[in-house]
Amino acid sequence: MSIQDLQSGYKFPPESLVITEDQGMAYARAVGDSSESPSQQIPPMSVIAAGLSRFIQHLGLADGTVEVVHASQQVMFYRPITPGEPLEIQATLKSNNERRGSWFATVEMEFLDHAGSQVAGSSSLIVVNPS
Amino acid sequence: MTTQPGEKLISIDRTITQSQVQAYANASGDHNPIHLDAEFAAKTPFGTRIAHGMLTLAMVSEMLATAFPDSWASGGTLKVRFRAPVFPGEVIHVSGDIKKVTESDGVHVAEINVSVKKDDGTDVITGQAFVPVNRE
Repeated sequence: MSIQDLQSGYKFPPESLVITEDQGMAYARAVGDSSESPSQQIPPMSVIAAGLSRFIQHLGLADGTVEVVHASQQVMFYRPITPGEPLEIQATLKSNNERRGSWFATVEMEFLDHAGSQVAGSSSLIVVNPS
Repeated sequence: MTTQPGEKLISIDRTITQSQVQAYANASGDHNPIHLDAEFAAKTPFGTRIAHGMLTLAMVSEMLATAFPDSWASGGTLKVRFRAPVFPGEVIHVSGDIKKVTESDGVHVAEINVSVKKDDGTDVITGQAFVPVNRE
């Protein structure tokens, strides 16, 4: 899958995501965050980071063959997420435009719980420059 | 917090290290070589490895979670632009100032200007957060 081949509005196949207590703790240690207890709720930004990493990989943007710039980010949190809670990511390529050889792609993600309620969301603007 | 306009959140000053970048790559799953491979990064326009933007943004989230432990993860939103890369070894300063508090349908929401700067004042991240607050 290449970003140049996808049209605005493309919906990625749903992805399952579970962040365990250990993973939440690893994330908190990595970012130096002691503000929350990963045994009770995982750091909310860890969910966004994990989801974004996946779609960057799906778009073939993680191997260094192209220059990728993370230009802007929006996040929304609707309720705390507990360790081990199964989530589904529904992602859409909201926009995807080429300007002067660079691609400007906005990926929107919704994170849903088992009941289908949204627990978090994000919108990421990624700029892919020709290598 | 009293959550008044002009109030400053407790800031965070932190040195970003390459070992932290590696740990973040492992925790997040983002193994782009521009963050991890010195030889690869030397050939990029940056000339050296850079920290993940989401690593830096995590510290903004930490600041907000510390200031609003009951509501950041339950209704908080954040909108930012990444303006400059952070290179391992650099010190960053994460700060937030309450710009205003608005009320709608009985819910008070604090609008907070957030920023991450380098020692020399270079903007790394700028943006706004919106967090529900209890003003009873």
